[in-house]
Amino acid sequence: MTMFHLARRQPWLITVLVFVILAIVNTILQPSFVDPTVMRSNLSTFLPLILVAIGQTYVILAGDIDLSVGSIVALVNVVTVTVITLLGGTLGAVFGGLAAGFCVGLLCGLINGFFISGLRFQPIVTTFATGIIFAGLAIWVLPQAGLPVPDAYWQTYTESLLGLPVVLLVLIFGAIFTLVVSRLPFHTRLIAVGGNRTGAFQSGLQLGGLRIGAYMISGAFASFAALCLTGETASGDPLLGASLALSSISAVVLGGTALAGGFGNATGSIVGALVLGMIGNVIFFAGLPFEYQTLVQGLIVLAALAGGVFVTRR
Amino acid sequence: MFKKLVMAVLASVSIIAPASAQEKSFKIGLSNSFVGSEWRTQMIEEAQAAAKAWADKGVKVEVVVQSGNVDVQGQIGHIRNFMNQGVNAILINPGSPTAFNPIFAQAKARNVLIVATDAEVSSKDAIYVGIDQKAWAMQSAEWLSKTLNGKGNVAAINGIAGNPANEARVAGYREVFAKYPGIKILNEANASWDQAQGQQTMQNLLATYPTINGVWVQDGMADGAWRAIEAAGKVKDIAATGEIRKDFMTRWSEKKFNSGASVNPPGVMASALNVAVLKLMGKEFKDSVFAGTYGNAIYIPIPFVDANNLADNLKAAEGKPGYWSVTATVSPDQAAQFFK
Repeated sequence: MTMFHLARRQPWLITVLVFVILAIVNTILQPSFVDPTVMRSNLSTFLPLILVAIGQTYVILAGDIDLSVGSIVALVNVVTVTVITLLGGTLGAVFGGLAAGFCVGLLCGLINGFFISGLRFQPIVTTFATGIIFAGLAIWVLPQAGLPVPDAYWQTYTESLLGLPVVLLVLIFGAIFTLVVSRLPFHTRLIAVGGNRTGAFQSGLQLGGLRIGAYMISGAFASFAALCLTGETASGDPLLGASLALSSISAVVLGGTALAGGFGNATGSIVGALVLGMIGNVIFFAGLPFEYQTLVQGLIVLAALAGGVFVTRR
Repeated sequence: MFKKLVMAVLASVSIIAPASAQEKSFKIGLSNSFVGSEWRTQMIEEAQAAAKAWADKGVKVEVVVQSGNVDVQGQIGHIRNFMNQGVNAILINPGSPTAFNPIFAQAKARNVLIVATDAEVSSKDAIYVGIDQKAWAMQSAEWLSKTLNGKGNVAAINGIAGNPANEARVAGYREVFAKYPGIKILNEANASWDQAQGQQTMQNLLATYPTINGVWVQDGMADGAWRAIEAAGKVKDIAATGEIRKDFMTRWSEKKFNSGASVNPPGVMASALNVAVLKLMGKEFKDSVFAGTYGNAIYIPIPFVDANNLADNLKAAEGKPGYWSVTATVSPDQAAQFFK
């Protein structure tokens, strides 16, 4: 089998290649890139997008889309800090806040799944609308940025457990999750739902349950991202996460998942999210004038996406 | 491990710092999180010009810019990149008042000076150099009250509810109008700092309240509000606050609007840069300069444009593009007043 055929079957390999190139370029522009503290700080920056992209993958695999993830992140963030404050800021309160935030994320996913799979609403429009609702709820819960979390929360997040940085542990958890799920029947069925919905239905798959499940995974990973962001920002902000929805979709596509559904895997999305993050870094360290930074970033993202398209075109 | 690292960083900084102070060469990072406005572009360009001007004083200030539409997480990424690059100071127009506390603490641990501008931050590890948003609103509310001789029906058009600057401004004009028993606030609407929405909101207000005498409206929305006032043929009957872009001031002058505008100068980042450079040169702040909710703010003067100086401001804008805003910068000499 030639390299070309391998890449065609596993388009995320292209993204891995792009990632390696970006890493080399970044190291040339910024020699301290390989320094453990710098790698750790970069990972902290990219982690929320990585997590959201993992969740988004399952929704896209089933042929749907989730535009509300950014608002879920904001809502989970403000609920978490509010609950921690209401419970008195103790260690127990922190765990209460984490649990409350996670439940809110799951619930948001359930709501999306119910409207789209249960009531057969159109996914783009529905999650656009629920995104506005979740964002509105976030402003209602916490009208203005504030409410610092206890120091223990963000200090733990920026430190190490078992000799490994917490951010790395979260990444490892995400990677293991994607690898395990990709071997479950759930994953195969999800791909069937996205690739040939009528066929999947006629072969007796529980379409509703599968699609709702995918949205709930997306909600859960949005809440993980929000909890990481809370560790990063140590406070609540109802306007958090605005750019995450479209970035996560780009990361998923860069990771080799077909936007129409039915093909791909979430492990690739992790690489896709890393590539998106690295592009921003390389542009900065290349010293481009600020007027061109946004433009060049868009062009590089487009080029990276085009690579996958050319290879997989049949 | 972390402790050792901090010690090592501090040690290396303490070796480098005196040497770089002698050579007087600094690297300063500028972070901007929103590119959809000419005001922000002008802000960065003026800061770059201010950095160049330090060369005349024998100080080399190198500026690195990160600018893009990013959320809080993206801006934290900006700060990390600057720290990894080894800048001496970071100037930031922050996207959130509170979210940067941990990253600012990390920057301070690495001996990086953080100066926020345009929007205040709560971190004790940063300082703010910019205007007092509340005073900005009080100044124009005072103008409106005096222009209406202390009595009349007034409406307000605000930005985004929940935005810290917006809340400070609302508190400001309410405080001023409360001083004038004859001023009655008919309605307070939000129009997202969007010119078109400002125009639409003004149309609605004019239709609902035919007896309106005065309008207090923020920033670029004033342009839209005045278009609605013109369309309703009420230019002579209504006094309303204005804004500071050349295009608007030209119309203001030609059509003889009864207007006045507080200036939030795009030069705030250049002012912050001048303060930062002096601090990097080892000067100590006077204890009395800090004010504000968080006790870390240095407030700079807020210019005002009204009928008295409109012509001068238009003259200063000659040869500039239409989106150019009236500006002002705290010069290095003026900034020196903040220090011992």
